[in-house]
Amino acid sequence: MVKSAEGGQVSRRGKETRPGGRAPGEKELARAQFFGLKKWQYIAINAFLIFHTLAICCWCMPFGSPFIAACRETLRPYFVWSGLFQSWDMFSPLPKSANAYMEALVLYQDGSTTIWSFPRMEQLTLTEKYSKERYRKFMESVLDEKNAMLWPDVARHVARLPEIRGGGPRKVMLVARWSNVVRQEDGTFARGPWDEHVFYSYDVKPEDLQ
Amino acid sequence: MTAKSFLAAWNEFFFADQSPIPIALFRVIYGVMVIATLLLLRPDWMAWYGPHAWVSLPTMQGIEPGPRLNLFTVLPETYFWAQALFWVFLASAACLTIGFLARVNSVVVYLCLASIQQRNLFILHGGDTFLRVAGFFLIFAPAGAAFSVDRLIRIWRGREGAEIRLRRPWAQRMIQFELTLVYFVGFCWKVAGAPWVEGSALSYIYHVDELQRFPVPSWFLNPTILKLATWFTLVLEFALGVLIWIKEIRYYLLAIGLFFHLCLEYSLNVPMFQWDVLSAYVLFIDAGDLQRVWNRIRDRTGTHFGEQVTVIYDGSSERLRRIANLLGAIDIFSRLSFVDLRDAAAPGGARMKAARDKLEVETEFGPRQGLDAVRTVASVVPLLWPVYLVLSIQKLFKLRVA
Repeated sequence: MVKSAEGGQVSRRGKETRPGGRAPGEKELARAQFFGLKKWQYIAINAFLIFHTLAICCWCMPFGSPFIAACRETLRPYFVWSGLFQSWDMFSPLPKSANAYMEALVLYQDGSTTIWSFPRMEQLTLTEKYSKERYRKFMESVLDEKNAMLWPDVARHVARLPEIRGGGPRKVMLVARWSNVVRQEDGTFARGPWDEHVFYSYDVKPEDLQ
Repeated sequence: MTAKSFLAAWNEFFFADQSPIPIALFRVIYGVMVIATLLLLRPDWMAWYGPHAWVSLPTMQGIEPGPRLNLFTVLPETYFWAQALFWVFLASAACLTIGFLARVNSVVVYLCLASIQQRNLFILHGGDTFLRVAGFFLIFAPAGAAFSVDRLIRIWRGREGAEIRLRRPWAQRMIQFELTLVYFVGFCWKVAGAPWVEGSALSYIYHVDELQRFPVPSWFLNPTILKLATWFTLVLEFALGVLIWIKEIRYYLLAIGLFFHLCLEYSLNVPMFQWDVLSAYVLFIDAGDLQRVWNRIRDRTGTHFGEQVTVIYDGSSERLRRIANLLGAIDIFSRLSFVDLRDAAAPGGARMKAARDKLEVETEFGPRQGLDAVRTVASVVPLLWPVYLVLSIQKLFKLRVA
């Protein structure tokens, strides 16, 4: 390239260009080629799209290959940080097959006891069902043994409830009650007998009630 | 398919300009969904997110370690900040819904949504997850390009005309992709479970009392019907996950999907899930079809808002042209007709000349200018009814004082 008399540049083809180095119209042509984007923007968006499409598929598809598992581990820090983690296993692979709920049995300092019930959907009104549904999901999580780390917090929270705290709680026991849905011989389904067990016991400390 | 044709199809799919009306409509519905979620959470907000919540922050961090976009980890753990987050979140969701600072508010809404979900992962359902991942891609979408205060501001500032500019749909495509994944991955999980394949899955679900909302007809609980319904669920999830991309059958699938989700909404107690998922259906509707449906609604209901009013303005005035464009954008029921004085077809006359530099409104009682003109226009444009109310009260007050 050589400089023209006006200070602009002349390309090898002899066409005068702007000081920036591009012929008038060339920039517009380049932009049209990339859908109105600058080349770097077009490349960046495509990289974003390709990465996220593949990564999301890899994250949530129920494939068990070691390669996919390795990819998931690599992606994990980004997905959990950004909030893109997702799973779409609603009612699957196995749908819920038991009616279950949870209660808290509270022992007070004076030896008396009381039972505190978590909101149960089947006993609520329609509007309450809408606003209290989180409790259903939460109970489902708490009753899962792999979430045992939640149990001390739940017991502490029960002890701190205004109606419990006043009586001086000494111990909180979390009780699971459940009834399996069973298939009968004629192919119909029915609710089985109720069963129960105390799955966690917590000694309330004075600082819990602060 | 050659590499070249694949690239062309890719570019067409993600980058070919299209109307932003579907994504703008999605923004409005998405905002409403977020607000509804927040209002339903309100009674127990402190129980889930307060300093003495059911699950403490250290416990949550112990179970799910690692850095996360979670404002609760940077805000002081007090009642005040937990409440402040609720109100900021609600205000931002309201702004996003009306399209005021849409881009900024989509970021704020996403941050707040991700924060409350990260704060307690044990109370989430699929609808919450969908709102979160859709919210992530909404940040990158031209969501404020239509039906928004942002657009009105742009028109007022003269940066945009009456026409809605076409935009690149790549972010919208990602939300569509997420919606299809909800179904397709759901299908893949279900076919891995024996109760779904043998057809007994719904029999279990409809015997779990906590999931029941309204009573379903007894014939539906017949094992054969439930078996067929279980398999129908599998077929539909596959179709909505894969076949929805085929344009010719898309609307049929969307209609069946809508019916399916409404049935679930009636019978199963999973609040908001169905609505959260249905909100994204609008992204699969062609902007032209949305326009046609709206025109039909407008033609049927528009006349109820009063006779059409003619607004006369001088198009050579930049200010008046902007006002006319602004009114045109607000007038969603087409109750206004505009006459530009520069237009050769515009009727002439001395009164027309008087309209120069002013906006004039033709009414059956004669021409109106100034506040009277604004009041007349506001009376027939539903979005301006609050203005009409204020001006009417003001007029009444002035008459009484006089």
